[in-house]
Amino acid sequence: MSVAEAEAREVRLDAPSGLWSEAWRRLRRNPGAIVGFVLVAAFVTVAIFAPLIATHGPREQNLSLLQGSCCPGPSGSHFFGVDALGRDLFSRVVYGARFSLLIGVVSVAVGLSVGLLIGAVAGYLGGWIDSILMRLMDIMLSIPGLLLAIGIVAALGPGLTQIMIAVGATQVPIFARLLRGSILATREADYVLAARAVGVKRRSILVSHILPNSLSPVIVQGTLALATAIIDVAGLGFLGLGPQDPSTPEWGTMLTDTTRYLQTAPFLALIPGAAIVVSVLGFNLIGDGLREALDPRFRGRA
Amino acid sequence: MLRYVVRRLLLIVPILFGVSILVFFWVRALPGSPISSLLGERATPQLVEQYRERYGFNEPVYKQYYKQLKSWGKADFGNSIATHRRVSEEIKQRFPATLELTIAAMIFAVGVGVPLGFFAAKRHGRLFDHASLFLSLIGISIPVFFLAIILKYVFAVRLHLLPTVGRIDVLIDTKHPTNFYLLDAIITRDWHTLWDVLKHLVLPAVALGSIPLAIVTRITRAAVLDVQNEDYVRTARAKGLPPRTVDTRHVLRNALLPISTIIGLQAGLLLSGAVLTETVFAFPGIGSWLRDAIFNRDYPVIQGGILFVALVFVLVNLIVDISYAIINPRIRYS
Amino acid sequence: MRRIALKFGLVAAAFTGVLLVTLGLGGSSSARPTLIYAGAGDPTYLDPGLVSDGESFRVSEAIMEGLVFLKPGTTTVKPRLATKWSASRDGKTWTFWLRRGVKFHDGTAFNSSAVCANFNRWYNWRGAFQDASATYYYQAIYGGFKVNEVSGLSPPLFRSCTARGKYKAIVKLRRKSGTFLPSLVISSFAMQSPTAMKKYGADQGELRNGTFVPTGSYAFSHPTGTGPFRFKSWTVGQKVELTRSGNYWGTKAKIDRLIIRPIGTPTARLQALQNGEVNAYDLAAPQDVATIRANSKLKTITRSPFNVAYVTIHQGPGSVMNDLKVRQAVAHGLNRTQVVNQFYFGAGKLAQEFIPPSLPGWSSKVQKYAYNPTQSKALLNSSACKVPCKIDFWYPTSISRPYMPDPARNFQAFQASLEASGFSVTPHSAPWRPTYVAKVNDGTAGDLNLIGWSGDYGDPDNFVGTFFKSYSAQFGFQNPAIFKILTRAANETNAAKRIALYKQANEMLMKYLPGVPYAHSVSFIGAEKRVKNLIATPVGGTWFQYATVG
Repeated sequence: MSVAEAEAREVRLDAPSGLWSEAWRRLRRNPGAIVGFVLVAAFVTVAIFAPLIATHGPREQNLSLLQGSCCPGPSGSHFFGVDALGRDLFSRVVYGARFSLLIGVVSVAVGLSVGLLIGAVAGYLGGWIDSILMRLMDIMLSIPGLLLAIGIVAALGPGLTQIMIAVGATQVPIFARLLRGSILATREADYVLAARAVGVKRRSILVSHILPNSLSPVIVQGTLALATAIIDVAGLGFLGLGPQDPSTPEWGTMLTDTTRYLQTAPFLALIPGAAIVVSVLGFNLIGDGLREALDPRFRGRA
Repeated sequence: MLRYVVRRLLLIVPILFGVSILVFFWVRALPGSPISSLLGERATPQLVEQYRERYGFNEPVYKQYYKQLKSWGKADFGNSIATHRRVSEEIKQRFPATLELTIAAMIFAVGVGVPLGFFAAKRHGRLFDHASLFLSLIGISIPVFFLAIILKYVFAVRLHLLPTVGRIDVLIDTKHPTNFYLLDAIITRDWHTLWDVLKHLVLPAVALGSIPLAIVTRITRAAVLDVQNEDYVRTARAKGLPPRTVDTRHVLRNALLPISTIIGLQAGLLLSGAVLTETVFAFPGIGSWLRDAIFNRDYPVIQGGILFVALVFVLVNLIVDISYAIINPRIRYS
Repeated sequence: MRRIALKFGLVAAAFTGVLLVTLGLGGSSSARPTLIYAGAGDPTYLDPGLVSDGESFRVSEAIMEGLVFLKPGTTTVKPRLATKWSASRDGKTWTFWLRRGVKFHDGTAFNSSAVCANFNRWYNWRGAFQDASATYYYQAIYGGFKVNEVSGLSPPLFRSCTARGKYKAIVKLRRKSGTFLPSLVISSFAMQSPTAMKKYGADQGELRNGTFVPTGSYAFSHPTGTGPFRFKSWTVGQKVELTRSGNYWGTKAKIDRLIIRPIGTPTARLQALQNGEVNAYDLAAPQDVATIRANSKLKTITRSPFNVAYVTIHQGPGSVMNDLKVRQAVAHGLNRTQVVNQFYFGAGKLAQEFIPPSLPGWSSKVQKYAYNPTQSKALLNSSACKVPCKIDFWYPTSISRPYMPDPARNFQAFQASLEASGFSVTPHSAPWRPTYVAKVNDGTAGDLNLIGWSGDYGDPDNFVGTFFKSYSAQFGFQNPAIFKILTRAANETNAAKRIALYKQANEMLMKYLPGVPYAHSVSFIGAEKRVKNLIATPVGGTWFQYATVG
């Protein structure tokens, strides 16, 4: 939430058009970004091919595997060991990639689309509509993100959809401000003034001139927002606001459930934790790389 | 300048007003009405109906809101359902704890992040640069509560170096006039207590400071890189000033501007993080209090607490913006 | 500007310094005759008459005593401030002979007029004190007050208390009651100093946004009883501190200071114990028991089971659960043995009926239901709800109860075993308070839900009477035969007859299946080995009187 917001300040708002191919070239030369792409590609592959990769069903219990107080660790038949209900942790982590990806993408999509809509309306129409919308965003921003998300989940009731809405909602003001700022900056740009002078309609100026040129900070921000979304979902899970069905293999919930076995079976918490860190790191590396690639200041430096 | 400050101050009013409306209606949207949270496990339909009438939940909503606003105006947030204490009283006790924790986290973040970022920029493109960038990325990528749990397990449970819970050793019997334990200990020159309070602060502050640390490192690095290529820095170098003088007097000074804004922006982030960190370390601050309140549907606490947090957050940003405006006059007119 | 850089350098250096030095010196613990004990939260108030939670009772039990008590570690009623008692033949007049030479901590003498002052205080409560949030236990046992000001309160059980001489008190009731004496062990009915209560305004209180709040200082800083410890201080969120009472009438405490501190989660309490920040802690999680025992410096203290965990079967208009066959299919479809064996770490005992075996009225002859998926499916297919029989199943989040240490885990195991037995389970969850408990009570928590009960005092009425004496929305069934027998049992004062009635009731219940009990669970105190003679009482309390810290 607020990480993304802070990051937003770093994002340069003025990315001139026609820099995409050059950006791509520079991105490929950035070792960090490449590592990021590899991590994310692995993450997405695992998510898509989960049924092929997993060795067991993610909800398949085998209580007879449990010994003493908890859970046997990694072995040949269970690469990451088994959890407190005798389920194969490896398969759960693999399926968990699906949920994390889904939750991340959907909540960012929610935040992004609503945020962009508000930002575009505010930035383009201006006037009192702009003031009202932006004060509304200020109000949302004045409540710490996690509390806002907890509040939304508390009001809507627990569940995957509700979590996605809650996490998405916390990102709305960030995207709204970003796009508004970007529109305000491009509105006075020469090519927009030129288009207006030759009588192009307001809406088509917005759609065909302003929006495309405001896109690059949004893309960077969107990538970073994916990272924060995954972390926030894990945080909500940690606070006990995860999905309704406790057998859902979602990393945050898995982590939360197992911190109580930290002393007897630390791997149960460490493995999902590591999965979260690695996937979040992937998105952050790409976001970073994109920012540098799209930032005119760095042009020609790489 | 004065006009700018007044304008910014006035802008606070609609925000707080908006937050109050948001909080008021949000509480009513929660499943499990305030009544059943009052009665808890003993709620019978008859009792619930009685309570609805007694506490005016049957009145029209705008009337309820008006009543509520009036008492909020008098800084009366009511009593907590869980502890039965005045919410304002609890805020007085708990806010200093959170403030102490956040300041400690910020000192950690700035104290480590600025040098780290500075030296990363000085060694741009070299191993130290890559390593610090990567470290800061990992800092951002680790969920705060996960880091807190690991730190606590390693340094307290395994190595027995630091305490695991709370703010102060329970065997210490001292008065806390300001509720800022560090300050109290310094005032009374009670070094033993000061030491103990510091020990309780280390792990939560490091966990909470991890994300700001990463961000401060990156911002510092970026800012220093930016400034380094500015004309005045080149000129200074060309003049033959010693590198250290150039670094401190020209580079760092100008790089500090963006860093100072970021510190303000971290307020909300730190409060979010405090919810998780305080929960892990049973630290008696605002964060763990609000988390419990939300779980227990402790309405007066949720309302009062969130209003208070929003106020603090808005004020911190105001202070940062104003000081920024003082440093950089261009801001005022944009 | 060099100064700024310098400052940053200094701050960084200072911080690193603090970190290093701290790491070097680390936690210290000194041996003092002090016991630091961790509970799960702060007390609500220190006036036990006005609370109903274990965290408050834990403290008040060390300060105050009742007329009778449960012999530490058991559920047997024993004399305490009363040395003996007798009931009249009609069960309405009770005579208590009192212990001589006992003084409250403020010097007030304990005698028959002090006893009557306490009984009359409860009976005469008015206004805000009649709110359920203030006097839950009084209302649960005695019904209403002298003047009922809140609608829905039943007529009072209590009639009068008379001091007959200095050491004999006679309590008259309005009707016969089998629960009057056993319920006197509840901490809410502890004897408190009438002088101190008056001086510090114990009977001043008001409702503030719906919650009862004492306005006097008694319940916060002057609780006064006759117990082995006297109150010293209470810092909310940090600790309650008690000191040894030097003129206690019985065995005087072995420790000088008793500090009770609130630590929210079992894991955090365990870690505080491991790190030497507390000497002992309550409500250890079963999964941590092995860790504690594996540590050469630590041990566990066992609290014998006085609770029951069960699955509610909710019946009601149009519910598939109205069919006995479906209820039987549920009972055979829950893999209770495996849940109890695997998840309670040896701390659980498979429950076959709703009361724990330590209570009179427990029957060995109840119908038992073994896990049998084939039989479940057969039962379902001969009922209205054919395989797959769709049901809604609720479980609570953010809670750990002694009888249900990890609800989500129990739920998942039951969910899997029911699905193997021909059911199709839709999971639902809600946070324990207030949503979940309210939904269970209202009967809106699905067809099945996980819940349980911890006993307040050693009487079967406290278990089956609470659940099944009359219609309740939670279970949603009407069964006059069961209601009648439980009401008769509660009013019966003849012990042998009562036991027979409760046995019969338990057998009827397990045939009818209003729910499926599955566990009676031991709960644990984790402690340092040098802590000796700390006693855990079944009803959830802890006896600090004999404890020593070696």
